[in-house]
Amino acid sequence: MLEPHETILAAVFEERDRVMSRRGLLGHSLRLAAGGALALGLAGAPVFDRLTALAQSFTGNIDVLNYALTLEHLEYAFYRDGIGKFQFGNGPFGHSIDTDLAAIRDHEQAHVATLTKVITQLGGTPVKEATYNFGYGSDPKKFLATAQALENTGVRAYDGAGASLKSTDLLTAAGTIVAVEARHASYLNLLNGQIPFPAPFEQPATRAEVLTIAGPFIVSSGTPAAGA
Amino acid sequence: MSSQINSFLAAQATPGATPSPFKGPVDVLNYALTLEHLEATFYRDGLSKFANQDYLNAGLQTSVRDYITQIGTDETAHVDTLTKVIGSLGGTPVKEATYNFGYTNLTGFLKVAAALENTGVAAYTGAAQYLISNDQLLTAALTIHGVEARHAAYLNVVTGTSPFPAAFDAPKTPAEVLKIAGPFIVSG
Repeated sequence: MLEPHETILAAVFEERDRVMSRRGLLGHSLRLAAGGALALGLAGAPVFDRLTALAQSFTGNIDVLNYALTLEHLEYAFYRDGIGKFQFGNGPFGHSIDTDLAAIRDHEQAHVATLTKVITQLGGTPVKEATYNFGYGSDPKKFLATAQALENTGVRAYDGAGASLKSTDLLTAAGTIVAVEARHASYLNLLNGQIPFPAPFEQPATRAEVLTIAGPFIVSSGTPAAGA
Repeated sequence: MSSQINSFLAAQATPGATPSPFKGPVDVLNYALTLEHLEATFYRDGLSKFANQDYLNAGLQTSVRDYITQIGTDETAHVDTLTKVIGSLGGTPVKEATYNFGYTNLTGFLKVAAALENTGVAAYTGAAQYLISNDQLLTAALTIHGVEARHAAYLNVVTGTSPFPAAFDAPKTPAEVLKIAGPFIVSG
């Protein structure tokens, strides 16, 4: 029986494999962006094949931001409620892991606060924090592994949603957040004994993929999920 | 500094300059490619200069050199992809230039590495908005941006600073980035 964090990481890799094999069956079918002149069979970044699926997930900027906020709530609650349970001591290069995790917590809190404010300013209703079960019990290794899975999934979520933001200000703001999530992911990979940068390109995920990964953590949502 | 950098800086300095310093997506990607060439060359040079023993002498494990090697491989992949994409859009990809990075020892090399990666993150964060009209290119840029942030976090840890100094990673304008990177470029 897989531990929760193993299930999550397995889901991440399974999704990647599923997409790879589906792409092989269907061949390359690239939707050209308006005004774009991208040639078919563009080599280099595998992301091009999946952009149709990524683009269809959102109804507008507020929807994208609430999607981000759903994940930020989850991450903040995870660190807020978890780090007091453990004492991790020093990590690679003599860093205090506890200090670093507290910084991550503070970042996620700031992300929640900012996204909530922006959505409200835009006239939307920000999603609320849900109730979660992260499944690490009292196991510090499981806690760190789950943190790693959450941060890496967060990067995939933002990178999958970024192109659906139709405002340069919001896009830049999202960029300032996803860079920090990627830094978190890099650090947590390192803590868990893995390479901080497993691939030369990030792997964007669709909203459906992300909610499949994150959904099991959510016991009851504070707000009805939209468009999952 | 290169003529390309000069024209970028001039565009920023001109009163009433248009909001975007770029003529189009190819220009944005060539801006990114300029930085990726710089980084790829930087790591190639540093890996040829410093061997495992140098890392050990500096009190670092050889795994650091392994990870630096991977970072260099990533940057080369970024160069290759951006070059291909620019070509497929009918543009002319910028070429590798000649650089002087100014470090004299491994510690200096690692500090410059951290500075380059952190600047690279800020560059992509600042430039993403100029790709908003093209979903594919924007998403591709984001897939590189995240990896630069991972590099930066790791190099910060190695050089003794926080992997994530702030809750939000501030963007830099192309002019700001090229002022930082420009001095490294000797010609090209």
